[in-house]
Amino acid sequence: MSTLSTPRSGTAGADTGAGPGAGAAPARRVGASGRVRAWASRQYWPSFLYLLPAAVCYGLFVLRPLGQTAWISLFEWDGLTVGRWTGLDNYGELLGDSRILAALGHSLVFVVFYAVLPVAIGLALAGLMSRMRVRGLSFFRAVLFVPQILATVVVAVSWRWVYDIDGPLNAALRAVGLGSLTRAWLGDYATALPAVGLVGTWVMFGLCMVLFLAGVQKIPTELYESARLDGCGPVREFFTVTLPALRGEIAIALVLTVTYALRNFDLVWNTTAGGPGESTSVPSVFIYQGAFLTREVGAASALSVCLTVLVLAVTAVIMRLVRGKEG
Amino acid sequence: MRKPRITAAAGIALTALLAGACGVPGAGGGAASSGFEGPRITERVTPEDVAKMGDTTLRVLADAGEEQTLEALVPRYEKAYPNVEVEVVTKGFDDLLKTVPNSLSGSDAPDLAQGNQGYGTDGPLVRAGLLRPLDDVMRTYGWENTYTDGALKQYRWTPDGALFGSGSLYGISPVTEYVGVFYNREILDGLGIEPPGTYREFTAALDEVKAAGRQPLMLGNAEKYPASQVIGLVQGQNVSSRDVRSWVSGVPGATVADKGTQDAARTVQEWADDGYFGRGYDGISSDDAVAKFAAGKGAFLVAGSWNAPALQESMKGEVGFTLPTRPDGTRATVGSLGMGWHISAKTKKLPAAVAFLDMLMSEDFAQSIADVGRTPVTGSAEATSPVADAVNDTGLKLLADDGQNFYLDWASTTMYDTVGATTQDLLSGRTSPAGFTEALQEDWQDFAAEQREAAGAGAEDAS
Repeated sequence: MSTLSTPRSGTAGADTGAGPGAGAAPARRVGASGRVRAWASRQYWPSFLYLLPAAVCYGLFVLRPLGQTAWISLFEWDGLTVGRWTGLDNYGELLGDSRILAALGHSLVFVVFYAVLPVAIGLALAGLMSRMRVRGLSFFRAVLFVPQILATVVVAVSWRWVYDIDGPLNAALRAVGLGSLTRAWLGDYATALPAVGLVGTWVMFGLCMVLFLAGVQKIPTELYESARLDGCGPVREFFTVTLPALRGEIAIALVLTVTYALRNFDLVWNTTAGGPGESTSVPSVFIYQGAFLTREVGAASALSVCLTVLVLAVTAVIMRLVRGKEG
Repeated sequence: MRKPRITAAAGIALTALLAGACGVPGAGGGAASSGFEGPRITERVTPEDVAKMGDTTLRVLADAGEEQTLEALVPRYEKAYPNVEVEVVTKGFDDLLKTVPNSLSGSDAPDLAQGNQGYGTDGPLVRAGLLRPLDDVMRTYGWENTYTDGALKQYRWTPDGALFGSGSLYGISPVTEYVGVFYNREILDGLGIEPPGTYREFTAALDEVKAAGRQPLMLGNAEKYPASQVIGLVQGQNVSSRDVRSWVSGVPGATVADKGTQDAARTVQEWADDGYFGRGYDGISSDDAVAKFAAGKGAFLVAGSWNAPALQESMKGEVGFTLPTRPDGTRATVGSLGMGWHISAKTKKLPAAVAFLDMLMSEDFAQSIADVGRTPVTGSAEATSPVADAVNDTGLKLLADDGQNFYLDWASTTMYDTVGATTQDLLSGRTSPAGFTEALQEDWQDFAAEQREAAGAGAEDAS
């Protein structure tokens, strides 16, 4: 990336050409340092002072801990005594640990429940509400948003009760003659993962819906009118008008929900603690255990770094795919 | 605009890395203590010794379960030692275990703190040299006469923190807690079953309750550990306490993949298969299980003695307690003394701290401990209810029999998780009794290998 192998004209020149002397020099001799110099000369430096307070806080409370985590991940450290340098061993062990890979698999399942389903439900609700005038819309909106603002522990305890062997879900199943299906939903190897996932769907769909409703409101009504004049039914109208206009909101919703799904910890820990067996374990559970219970701080840091990189990569992909050039 | 942005991002990342790269983590903290330097306690601390310190504050970090005990102790202490003000901070069990290492290693460490026995919490504290050995205090105050040697081993560590169960004494507690069997008198009376005394009577009672179409045992295993305590209770019948404790302490060559433990795992697996625990136990929390048992679900509940006050409150006279005996009449089960009280190696208020432990451990204070529903082992005391009386009485017999088997999860830093997950696998039939014990043994061996490796690396560093 330091030098361009083929001379470029036009757009490449426009990229760097504003710097003094850069226009005269052949493009291929403009290395990274030249570009930086060109970029630097265009800046009005005092304006950066306005960024300083935020940058200092960000650096101190986000970047520095991140750097420390990355550094600690190169050690074997119990959090108390002097650490032992192990280089990339922690990362190697991660890749060889089948429990971590299984946990990643669970996370991918959670992406479906925490991101795909809520976005789909949110879109459906937003599509419905954009077509019809609903009386007391703000009331419904508020009620559907409530799960999002409840404390996770409250959500977890409530759902533990719903899923309990003597809980309302099983009572309802018995009432309609499906008593053979009853089980401890969170304590069953087959159902624990989707059961926890559905709690996540319930928590996240309100957020998606509110985002999409806000987006729908800024779509010009003329678009709907012309679509209707052209004879579009509700489904066609949704796909040709609503969906494309919500691109930005979908990207935001996906980034928020996918991030939540990947770093999901509190909901899992408070409903199943990763059980039964290891059937609902997620990477964050191992980070927590490593950092606070088993005192393998180095290994836990390595896993944190991997998770951070994964979240950033997935976020970047979503932004590119959904928002496209617009972003 | 693309390239500069990348350069800037790289610059930020680099800065972050450099900011983080401030040396080896943990360097400058306490190193492994090879031999404790500092004043020794050779005579009992007197109020005059403490008074010499002038007005001062004694800082105490404790488990939330100690709150009531400390509410009784602190006013007494402040009256006897008027120049000392005691500042107590309590935290829930999980929180305490996670924060106590950092509290003690910080610059603002408490003078007294509770840890938890085993390689998970106390081990790292000893290894980091954060705890003051208490051998001199033990000898001065005669604690070794209060306890059997086997019981005191749970607070003993080699000074490098590598081996648990021998070496210096690093903690003490005036109470005992253990896993036993609560029963519902109403259900047993209704079925005409006598409260069991021996293990044989216990299993016979389970079969009778089952035959009568009721649920014999209540179990809530969502947190993964309660079912492993049921296995531990049965293991106590099959395996000698010495062997179980050797394994928990990491004595080289010990094994849990023995026939007795496998049989215990098989017994509990069969109970699960035959519906003795009812359905859905992996989805019920341990607190909910206690509540369901109190509401009449299950004739028996295998649980910690610490549940006695709650059960007494909700069931009144309907709850009973027993610990099934072995064929020779002795008792052995999952159990230990209370979470150890430690004196910080950094404390500058040693006389006040020792006086605090002395009062906590004194015979005079035993009744106050019993009054809050706990089991003191430091002196005779009258229990507050019949079930508490049974718990206290049995607890003392268990100690006399030297039958405290400790907790399996003390055996390594990862054992809590291994035991929990493997127990759930066992009960659901995903692993065999042999698979269960092998998984535990494998964890144990991995940990032993790590310990050896760490010890080797430590020796290299020193040379």
